[in-house]
Amino acid sequence: MNAAVLQPTGQAVTHKIRVKNLDFYYGGFQALKNVNLDVPERKVTAFIGPSGCGKSTLLRTFNRIYALYAGHEAKGEVLLDGENILAPGQDLNRLRAKVGMVFQKPTPFPMSIYDNIAFGVRLYESLSPREMGERVEWALRKAALWDEVKDKQKQSGTSLSGGQQQRLCIARAIAVKPEVLLLDEPASALDPISTGRIEELLHELKNDYTIVMVTHNMQQAARVSDYTAYMYLGELVEVGVTDEIFIKPRKKETEDYITGRFG
Amino acid sequence: MNLYARRLLVNRFNLAVSLLAMLFGLFWLGWILFTLFQAGFRALGPDLFSMMTPPPGSSGGLANAIAGSLLMAVAGTLVGTPVGIMAGIYLAEFGNRGWLAPATRFVSDILLSAPSIVIGLFVYEVYIIHTRHFSGWAGTMALALIVIPVVTRTTENMLRLVPDSLREAAAALGAPQWKMIAQVTVRAAKAGIVTGVLLAVARISGETAPLLFTALNNQFWSLNMNAPMANLPVVIFQFAMSPYEDWQQLAWAGALLITLGVLVLNILARVFFRNRTATY
Amino acid sequence: MGGEHLSKQYDNDLETLRSAVLRMGGLVEAQIRGAIDAFANGSQSLIDEVIAGESRVDECEVSIDNDCSHIIVKRQPAASDLRLIMAISKTVTDLERIGDEAEKIARMSKQIHERGRADAQHFASIRHAADIALSMLRQALDAFARLDAAHAASVIRQDVAIDTEFRSILRQLITFMMEDPRTISTALEIVWIAKAVERIGDHAKNIAESVIYIVKGTDIRHTKFAQLEGEALR
Repeated sequence: MNAAVLQPTGQAVTHKIRVKNLDFYYGGFQALKNVNLDVPERKVTAFIGPSGCGKSTLLRTFNRIYALYAGHEAKGEVLLDGENILAPGQDLNRLRAKVGMVFQKPTPFPMSIYDNIAFGVRLYESLSPREMGERVEWALRKAALWDEVKDKQKQSGTSLSGGQQQRLCIARAIAVKPEVLLLDEPASALDPISTGRIEELLHELKNDYTIVMVTHNMQQAARVSDYTAYMYLGELVEVGVTDEIFIKPRKKETEDYITGRFG
Repeated sequence: MNLYARRLLVNRFNLAVSLLAMLFGLFWLGWILFTLFQAGFRALGPDLFSMMTPPPGSSGGLANAIAGSLLMAVAGTLVGTPVGIMAGIYLAEFGNRGWLAPATRFVSDILLSAPSIVIGLFVYEVYIIHTRHFSGWAGTMALALIVIPVVTRTTENMLRLVPDSLREAAAALGAPQWKMIAQVTVRAAKAGIVTGVLLAVARISGETAPLLFTALNNQFWSLNMNAPMANLPVVIFQFAMSPYEDWQQLAWAGALLITLGVLVLNILARVFFRNRTATY
Repeated sequence: MGGEHLSKQYDNDLETLRSAVLRMGGLVEAQIRGAIDAFANGSQSLIDEVIAGESRVDECEVSIDNDCSHIIVKRQPAASDLRLIMAISKTVTDLERIGDEAEKIARMSKQIHERGRADAQHFASIRHAADIALSMLRQALDAFARLDAAHAASVIRQDVAIDTEFRSILRQLITFMMEDPRTISTALEIVWIAKAVERIGDHAKNIAESVIYIVKGTDIRHTKFAQLEGEALR
């Protein structure tokens, strides 16, 4: 299957995550088949493909969140900064502090906005109240939510609107200063304006974080990502620079999916 | 007649039948409450709460019985609730792998529907026989044994209602499982769990049979848990079956008190739960 | 290009669009032929027909561009569909310009014949160049209909022939003007007509380049010939 990512000429690109010969099983069903993929650092990589192609499954191997469930098994290697995170004995909690995740449905914790953000930070750092307040403010500013909630940080996180809740979840994820941010269809439950705000956010965030995003919305992938990977039935079909994939894809299957020629 | 008119008729008929059924049920409930109020109201007064259960013929109140009931209910709840909540947490959060969880759930469900007299007899056999006297502690144990399965069941159900996405969100931040459970999952299910506890308390307030074999009764004021303890249900049992009118009067008053207490607890549980249903 | 879309409506829209482009091409071809014949025989009715036909060509351009916008807004086309729409938009502009050139030829023919007859020999060379240009246009449209990149590349090669022809006509006319200054007005008009024909060839070449873009995805405008032929045949 396809290995390295096409690099725009003249630019050296380091790869934050390298996937090698990855297979994934849900019980007896093989959801990922021999996937090889490199994710470049500080860029946005999008996974696209029809339902059931394995893009969310692949994303969830990057922080091993599947380990919460019995019967989910990964074989192969996923190297984060050269270290295989699928190796036994890996400290999952430390891994997840390094690789943050935002889900499709906004999931604010049942606590105040301030506590929502402080929750993750308190897990691994001990900050003074002043430092914590600064960190919370920083995260909210980065997530473009500060202006809207700065006077009501003690209010429950669930009192916000859908778009605000999702930005709260993003703030919560970046407050712990991860190196990688995984986004599983982050805007699919939101209205166009909230979606637009989050896309703007991603543009800014990619300066500091490596971002991997799963999306059903091809135009969103085209707008937001630098690299796009097309998957089908558990296999990686094609990966490349986004502009090239959307204007001149190399594989017919990719072309068929992008132009809506399926069936 | 045409289809539409027939459907309308069937609809109205069924509606009428349902309404009648409801009124039927309400009727009996209403009558019970009315009878209770009518019979017991006369005895309601400050005396009821200040004076002890009297010997037949003299005036008195239910102070010792009320105190005893309260004491044992509180103690039983304090013992049973933590056990029930912990069991519920285990079943909901760790119960997906292995055989222990399904077995526990099964046993808990049996205990839930066990006749309370069996529980009373059990405590009698295991505890009273060895200590050779009835006591408030034995009563507490019996009540705790009733509280545990109720709280376990409601805690587990409420925790299961918390969506997995919330757990994943906590795990994705790197939270170890116990922190995820304590600070996120349980907190999200808090309202439901408290409701379960309130319902358990309402249940044990009226239980008679277990106390009959464990705490028995006490004519005098005693807060000694190690000795037989007065309690409302047994007093009602004793007084209502007696031929003395003033005793019967007190029995009615006691019954009214228990009913009011259970009513208040149920209303509290509903109000509490309603405010917090839309957390996720 | 590829299979059918999930949306039959989309396929229909694209088919309609392609047919519209080919129809416009046919219209423009007729304009060219009419204009060249009018130059040869000075028929007033033919000249008027060509001038009237020009407005129909303009209408086609507006309508097709409109349809392109609709498809872009509705379908957000990607990859080959995107290239098709972009190319159609440009092709239609080229066709409209060809139409303009044909109209110019007709107008100038009118003036030449009103003034008096010009030398028959010039008709022959102009006709020859025009035949090449017309053939290029027909082949370019054919390549578009069949999305045949190799065919399109051969069209591009023929543009050289027209340029050569144009330069030879120019030399002839210059000689002519030098011999007899009274013929200068007419000769100049013939030069403009030759220039118009040369431009028609250029526009036909552009259409062929668009076809290569649709098929191969490479934008070969402004590249050297050998390179693009290699590109087209790859």
